[in-house]
Amino acid sequence: MPHTDLLAEVRAAVADGRTPGPLTRAALATTDDPMLMRRAGRVLAGLAPPADGPDDLRPLRVAVLATCTVGPLEHLLHATLLGAGARPTVELGEYGAFELTLATPGRTAADLVVCLLDESYFLPARWSAVDVDAIDAHLERRLADLSGLVAANLDPAGATFVLHTVPMPADLRDSLVSLRARAAVSRLWHRLNAGLLALAEEHPQVVVVDLVSALADSPHPARDERLHRYADLPYTDGALLVLAHQVRRVAQARLGTSRKVLALDLDNTLWGGVVGEVGAAGVQVAGLYPGNCYQELQRAAGRLRDQGVVLVLASKNDPDVVTAALTDHPDVLLRPDAFSVVAVGWGAKAANLRDAARSLGLAEQAFVFMDDSEFERGAVAAELPEVAVVSAAGDPAHLVRSLLRTGWFDVTDLTDTDLRRPALYRSRTRRGDFAGGFGSSRDYLMALDIEVSAEPVTAFTVARVAQLAARTNQFNLTGRRFDEATTAAMSADPGHLVASFSVSDRFGDEGIVGAVWVECGERVWRVLNAVLSCRVLGRGVELAMVGWLAGQASAAGATAVEATFVPSGRNGVAAGFLGDAGFAGPTNDDGADDNNGGGGHSLALDGTRPGPPSWIRLLERSGV
Amino acid sequence: MSDAEPPGPAVLDILVEVLGESADDLRGNPVLATYDWNSITSLLALAQLESRFDVTLDLRALHAARTVDDLVGLVADATGSNATTAPH
Repeated sequence: MPHTDLLAEVRAAVADGRTPGPLTRAALATTDDPMLMRRAGRVLAGLAPPADGPDDLRPLRVAVLATCTVGPLEHLLHATLLGAGARPTVELGEYGAFELTLATPGRTAADLVVCLLDESYFLPARWSAVDVDAIDAHLERRLADLSGLVAANLDPAGATFVLHTVPMPADLRDSLVSLRARAAVSRLWHRLNAGLLALAEEHPQVVVVDLVSALADSPHPARDERLHRYADLPYTDGALLVLAHQVRRVAQARLGTSRKVLALDLDNTLWGGVVGEVGAAGVQVAGLYPGNCYQELQRAAGRLRDQGVVLVLASKNDPDVVTAALTDHPDVLLRPDAFSVVAVGWGAKAANLRDAARSLGLAEQAFVFMDDSEFERGAVAAELPEVAVVSAAGDPAHLVRSLLRTGWFDVTDLTDTDLRRPALYRSRTRRGDFAGGFGSSRDYLMALDIEVSAEPVTAFTVARVAQLAARTNQFNLTGRRFDEATTAAMSADPGHLVASFSVSDRFGDEGIVGAVWVECGERVWRVLNAVLSCRVLGRGVELAMVGWLAGQASAAGATAVEATFVPSGRNGVAAGFLGDAGFAGPTNDDGADDNNGGGGHSLALDGTRPGPPSWIRLLERSGV
Repeated sequence: MSDAEPPGPAVLDILVEVLGESADDLRGNPVLATYDWNSITSLLALAQLESRFDVTLDLRALHAARTVDDLVGLVADATGSNATTAPH
């Protein structure tokens, strides 16, 4: 999207009181023009939630605490976080009160606390160029101070803290005339940054982004001495935009708005040349430039696949020619089985991607599409605006950076399900083929040999359950998104039960696909939320979940399970679930409960316990 | 923007956005201190002027500017362009 159009669209949307559309949001996620983003962010600070109807965006409360002037970071965050699908409110800490604010837990109510750091926090006000040991001791002490302050603020149900590595100030480096001393101080500064990065390993609620290495890839200078001296602003707009984009990536991962699928074109994207014209032996896919660029893109896509990104092949070609080239070319790295869906033919790519989304059971907003053709990119953007489009045009040397630089696929932690996702989705498309041979859906479901395993959340499954909470929009009963820390805290609390549900069938193991969060009262158990991955909808898994939960409640002496459906505008698939599962209770026309969150439906545990559907075998483990 | 193009209109556009005032008001009363011209807005204007005209301005000179016309002159000196055309 051209810059003038982007700003005009942002202004028009805010003036009209509507949420900027997906194309605008994708542009905000990728734009690296600090002036444009600063202006867009100023406008977006006035963006109000929709007066009525569903909100496409996720609310996100952000607090910025700084050891220096925050400057334009506030507005840059408004722009980048909208690109993450968030509706941010940004609260700024008081200038000069960084430590005081951290030393007073509870002073900020936020989902994300961004700590903007500079060297003034870590270096002594006066330091000697001939006493490197004193600098070393001071750096260590200040790192320990910061670590202690952050740790004191880590409430299990509280905010995620975002810290960053700090560039070594040029004045420090260049004040030392001894080459040996300069190397020693650089080593100390690297150790400081290593210590900052280690905080993320010590505390699950801390994320540390490597601003120093990101700035090395940025065309923007880190510092403008005039702004530093005049306004205590140690970073340029460009450097702060680099940080704001890193924060966007954290927000994406936390909110579950990252993408899951990479759809790739073939000709002049995964290899050089047009295979239909030059034949399999003629495409460029290895050796010297430019073939090495295409092979590196295949390697990068393969690495993404190793981390759970589902690959889709989207090419206008004769299928036999493509299959032969992918199978037989000795230098091709992505063989046919690397792709969960192969959409090769002469149909429109937008239609192919829509079909791929349907067969994978994923929304189009989970897709990234990479193609060298401006026409194809434009057609997909026009028909499927929720799909993020990446250009593979121009010099192929830039292919890998074009794919990776935005961080479309970031997650907080890789779960076991992430690692197995490509195989799971490949099984799913095969399962769709298998369904064609049955007279009824019941026959088909019976033939699938579905097993559902239920168990309380453990330290090994809590990350996946939290990920489900963040990412599941369709079958999400109440929309309450319990994060990892909250889920872990609830699972350790005898007054709560958090359970995970895994599904397997004759085509493979889907892993953990469902979860429930329950408040366990003496007589009544109340379901705080239940989620089920769209991968397994339509198989009755949710009924098996209720059956297991009712058994657990009954065994604990409860007489009823209560639950509420809260419509979000996107969870209509769950509207009739409680009635189908045997819960009694009045509902509105849209399925929402009349009494707004008070446990609108009730399942009496009067000796008859709802069982799983006949085609599901429930493997039970005790919950409480 | 070419070297020969007078910077007045673009400087005025930037000030309109930074200060949130109308172009007519700024033309009618060009004294910056009349408006919300403080350390934050002046740095915002600095960043936008430098980006728009691809120049580096002296912060002292920026702070010495009293009026819109002073800023136009500052940018004209930096770009080597003709500042005689008033902002319009």
